[in-house]
Amino acid sequence: MEASSWGLFSAFGFFITLIFVCGLYCILATRSLIRAIIGLELLIKAVTLLVIVTGYLNNNTALAQSFVITIIVIEVVLVVIAGGVALQIFRHNDDLDTRRLTNLRG
Amino acid sequence: MSSVLILVPLFGIIGLNMLPRNVARRAAFWFAAAVFTAEILLAIVHQPAFWTEALVRFDSFFRLKFSVDSLSRIMLICIGVVSLSSLVVAKSTVSDEKEAFKFINILITASIGMSGIVMVKDIFSLYVFLEIAALSSFILIAFNKDINGLEGAFKYLILSAVATVLMLTSIAILLLDSPDTAFSTLHNEIAHSRGNFIVTFAIGLFICGLFIKGGLVPFHGWLPDAYMAAPAPVSILLAGVMTKACGIYTLMRIVASVFGFTDPIKNTMMLIGMISILVGAFAALGQTNFKRMLAYSSISQVGYIILGAGTGTFLGLAGAAFHLFNHAIFKGLLFVNSAALEEKVGTSDMSRMGGLSERMPVTGATSVIAMLSASGVPPLAGFWSKLLIVIALWQIGHYAYAAIAILASVLTLAYFLYMQRQVFFGKLPPGLEGLREAGNGLTLTASALAVITVGAGLAFPYIYNHFLLPLKEIFF
Repeated sequence: MEASSWGLFSAFGFFITLIFVCGLYCILATRSLIRAIIGLELLIKAVTLLVIVTGYLNNNTALAQSFVITIIVIEVVLVVIAGGVALQIFRHNDDLDTRRLTNLRG
Repeated sequence: MSSVLILVPLFGIIGLNMLPRNVARRAAFWFAAAVFTAEILLAIVHQPAFWTEALVRFDSFFRLKFSVDSLSRIMLICIGVVSLSSLVVAKSTVSDEKEAFKFINILITASIGMSGIVMVKDIFSLYVFLEIAALSSFILIAFNKDINGLEGAFKYLILSAVATVLMLTSIAILLLDSPDTAFSTLHNEIAHSRGNFIVTFAIGLFICGLFIKGGLVPFHGWLPDAYMAAPAPVSILLAGVMTKACGIYTLMRIVASVFGFTDPIKNTMMLIGMISILVGAFAALGQTNFKRMLAYSSISQVGYIILGAGTGTFLGLAGAAFHLFNHAIFKGLLFVNSAALEEKVGTSDMSRMGGLSERMPVTGATSVIAMLSASGVPPLAGFWSKLLIVIALWQIGHYAYAAIAILASVLTLAYFLYMQRQVFFGKLPPGLEGLREAGNGLTLTASALAVITVGAGLAFPYIYNHFLLPLKEIFF
């Protein structure tokens, strides 16, 4: 990797790390199922950005683009399933609090 | 023509959903059974020409590049056998026709994902098939829409998604240096830049993601919840092949053909395997719920597989691959038994059972076979795989690990004996006098799996020559 692209990579790397840490903090700290899903979204967005940057630096944008589209499609399915599960939990418990999800222990 | 295993079920599902409703519901079971049986037969009757020949037009149109070697064949047999058991159990436990149709659709999707995982030669396609398998298993866990299933599914979903994010990050970083993501290209690139901090970081992230997917000990929190909360046929699928295909097989494949067996990777795998064996076994000792005990026992047995694979020698990998197969069969069998208990007794709480083997002779007898195989008692299949793993550890000089692996077998025997005494021996508790044996579907599946366990143990020389020796070509 050349020096100029290293600068670009570290600039993007800073923001990617920022989004990643936000997402991880969101998943770990929240008590709401919907916010946990939003945290997941943030994590996946950070990774998508990373794929775009590495594809650009590697002069391989075509491959990176096809990867990004695939990631987006899979992400949509994941979020739909997560949303469906959260909705069903809401119908059972009448709230989305993770502290009430303590049936399974041991 | 390896892509047949992906394309036929895929178009089959689409076709089934276009048929008139009552025809489709009747045809679905037989279609799924045919697909799984074909998968088993194709993998056993090994015709190299069949796997390598390209499917005219389809392969170039879908840009599918699959290849099947001996490790993939072992996994394909596991996937076929366990999916078939899950299908037969579902037929007798899911009574509503509409629900059963939905179940079979998602089961076939899951098996497409797993078959894809074991056949791909490209790390990004691997990610895609991992997600197909994982997404369908979330739906399957929450299938009954009861609160426990939903809770287990959500926990699994979050941890699994974090794992795939870690793997994707690793793929993106590896893409910095590599023109594409095929296993062979990545292998050369990584061998080139060994010791580079960023590459080591990427390898660490990927392996961490696979440990989460496989439910190994520091990352095992989701596994007992998901196994326990899932409906009976889904537990069979999850415990039998899902976590093996998504986590353990993938780990073996990626380490063998991309990252290479370096000392840090080997030591990490052996250490994690050892911790999983011990933590899983001790946690299983303290359980009162049948399915939860089996889940912790799974963690412990998967530890053996990683311990064997971590040796990096042929014998260790052969033992790991054979234990992978054995574990799929005997754990599938134990979960079939738990399905029978759940259906007849109505609970999986062991303190409310006792003396069931006089009322349910087939379930009792098959569970004894499965438990003896799991603890490594000689003529049964589990003995041979554990023996191979212990010999491999001894050969490379890890005497302490070998000794602990043997002693942990005693722990396995201990918790399974406790389970047998609680559930199948002793006196019947009041209220269970009128208990009958479970239906034909459940007992036939259990007997078939028990026959495979005994047969694989007795025919070990044949299996060693025909399935395990060819592994040499992949790894060395």
